[in-house]
Amino acid sequence: MATPSTQQLLQTMQGASEHLSTNDRRDFLRRGVSYVAGAAAVGGATLASATGLTSNLPPNEPQWGRQLGTGVVENPYGLPSRHESQVVRRTVPWLTAESISSISMSPLQDLKGIITPNGLVFERYHAGVPDINPDEHRLMIHGLVDNPLIFTMEDLMRFPSVSEIKFIECPANGGMEWRGPQMEALQFTHGMLSCCEWTGVPLKVLLDAAGVQTAGKWILAEGADGAHMSRSIPMEKILDDTLVVYAQNGEMLRPEQGYPLRLLNPGWEGNTSIKWLRRIEVGDQPWHHREETSKYTDLMADGRARRFTFVQECNSVITSPCPENPIVRKGFLEVEGLAWTGRGTIKGVDISFDGGVSWRPAQLKGLVLDKALTRFSLSTQWQGEPWLIQSRAYDDTGYVQPTLAQLREQRGVNSIYHKNSIHTWQVAPTGEVKNVQIT
Amino acid sequence: MFRLPKSALALALFACAAVGASNSQDYQIGTAATAVEIAGWDIDIRADGKGLPVGSGNAINGEESYEIFCASCHGVFGEGEGRWPVLAGGEGTLADDRPVKTVGSYWPYASTLFDYIRRAMPFTAPMSLDDQQVYDITAYVLYLNDLIGEDFELSQDNLAQIKMPNQDGFFVDNRPDVSNPRCMADCADPASLMIQSSLSGITPIGHFVEGADAPASSHSGQHDLEASKEAERKAAITGEQLVSSVAQKNAVMSAEAIAGEATYKVACGVCHDSGLAGAPKLADTDAWLTRLQQGKEILTIHALEGYAGAKGYMPAKGGRADLSDEAVTNAVLFMVESQQ
Repeated sequence: MATPSTQQLLQTMQGASEHLSTNDRRDFLRRGVSYVAGAAAVGGATLASATGLTSNLPPNEPQWGRQLGTGVVENPYGLPSRHESQVVRRTVPWLTAESISSISMSPLQDLKGIITPNGLVFERYHAGVPDINPDEHRLMIHGLVDNPLIFTMEDLMRFPSVSEIKFIECPANGGMEWRGPQMEALQFTHGMLSCCEWTGVPLKVLLDAAGVQTAGKWILAEGADGAHMSRSIPMEKILDDTLVVYAQNGEMLRPEQGYPLRLLNPGWEGNTSIKWLRRIEVGDQPWHHREETSKYTDLMADGRARRFTFVQECNSVITSPCPENPIVRKGFLEVEGLAWTGRGTIKGVDISFDGGVSWRPAQLKGLVLDKALTRFSLSTQWQGEPWLIQSRAYDDTGYVQPTLAQLREQRGVNSIYHKNSIHTWQVAPTGEVKNVQIT
Repeated sequence: MFRLPKSALALALFACAAVGASNSQDYQIGTAATAVEIAGWDIDIRADGKGLPVGSGNAINGEESYEIFCASCHGVFGEGEGRWPVLAGGEGTLADDRPVKTVGSYWPYASTLFDYIRRAMPFTAPMSLDDQQVYDITAYVLYLNDLIGEDFELSQDNLAQIKMPNQDGFFVDNRPDVSNPRCMADCADPASLMIQSSLSGITPIGHFVEGADAPASSHSGQHDLEASKEAERKAAITGEQLVSSVAQKNAVMSAEAIAGEATYKVACGVCHDSGLAGAPKLADTDAWLTRLQQGKEILTIHALEGYAGAKGYMPAKGGRADLSDEAVTNAVLFMVESQQ
């Protein structure tokens, strides 16, 4: 059998795609290039499946209905369909000097609901991912406590467990765009954001076991990795909702997320949720370490800087349409997106199609939880008109997501962190979507 | 991994039953931490100097250590190499359009420097410096910022007394700092809207724009891309024919060297791809030829046991104590034979 040329395959696929539904067609075309590359590499073996595409459509019985599939434990730990290989974390290499101390973003454009699958949770490390043997991992609690303690993982898992759905966001999410739009895709404008069900023990339970002395007002949390990442956390937060977690979305933490143990400060900047947690010291004042002085402080226009800027304020973004998800057909369209607030619960989201001149309320869908991603939706019609589409969330404190102009007026453009402004996508009459800012 | 043997489980159940449920919150879980155990892990230094070890150091002694352990990333004068942090300079720039945030211009406390160097530096071998070296390097970085003289003896008694220029430049978070009314109609004048578009060509967008000539999506991909562009540029000047370097190498490499490539990728490439910590880049044949004059055996010993020289610093096995001697030796052969 002769190897088909790339051109032949593309024509075949184009033809086949005419028979697909709108969504299928879009995905199909988007994947076309990698499909063709793969087919060319293995030669004629895939020709049958490529030319057979129309034969899998009604009224024909598809190929997979006329043969057997693979058996159980073919993949003892299951994998996504091979047709979903484009749904991965991605990085922007020029952001950091090197991948050991860097960040990757979650593919928000491809995610459904509010839970981020474990393999797609965004990554941030300062000395790479350590390979920790849980049998040799310890959590030490000391300082202003009556009984300094060391816990094994087995010890920690004996405590009554709690499971809570919470988002984690890097405070630098969107931080590349203070001066103007830079990134061409949702994954890079907002992808330092994920949401999981976390399982562990409230830190206050562990601190109670150690007996915090009355002078104890802050803790220092420290990681076991090469960065020995350290942050000072005020005791009020710990009494409120800080967790020490060992599991996410039903399984033990992924190494990238701190296996076997991490801190979780719900709604606060991700950097405070120390991964590979090994030590908690109780003290009477903050430590002013590198990650709370040199970094993770917000420089204002006048040269002064905010510190201990813990809360991730109310934010939202439209995930469809977005640059990765252009509109491919006129007619019915569900506009969807994600909203979140570190101060509590999302109360509502408004959507503008005209760059913020007028707004319409969207619906909140599914679970609406404290400090969790919240999905919103608005059903509409699109007839090829150009849009400047925006979402604006508000939370149960009454805080309304601000405009970028308002943030710049207060903070200037050099604060890097905590840019939670209303985001704009420009939808062209072709359905193509671009990242823009309105000034 | 956390599974208890059945007998232990039975014992635990029995113990529960025996104790009863008189106080269900009395967990009695965990082991007392001894003073020795705490001392080994309690590495933090506070702004008031609490936690500083007994000792002292100065910039004169710190210069040599700084050049070995720090200069390859942070620059000889703290000016920063590539995208690595700038340590010195930038005074008076914090309100500028492009502020330069350094130890001298931005950091509020000198203690943070000692704490951070001890816990996380040098990047490739954290926790490997002794207290004397940390005092010396801390003094040298303060000296680079004109905050102490070169013969100032920095110690546990005076480090926290050093007043950093920007100590009073911070204030506690005062957000929410904006109030946006939830306007629903006529919120802006449509004629006044100005649309600013994204810069194109700087986002790795190959995943959704077909045929997009996007930058690579990984650091190693970016490195390869830059290397191949450089090779193309050189070839265009010299008129040389570009040959597939991979095919060329595989033809001449020993089996050990080929086996060493995997180790190189997971361990050595961190520094030898980018030149981090003064490492000779894999692609920098000139740098390797100089080193090769010492012989492969010496290079292998340096890789296994560690080495500090004028160009930079190599911890034993690159800081990867988990690698076998054989894996490291093969990786050295891979790097050496890549130069042929």
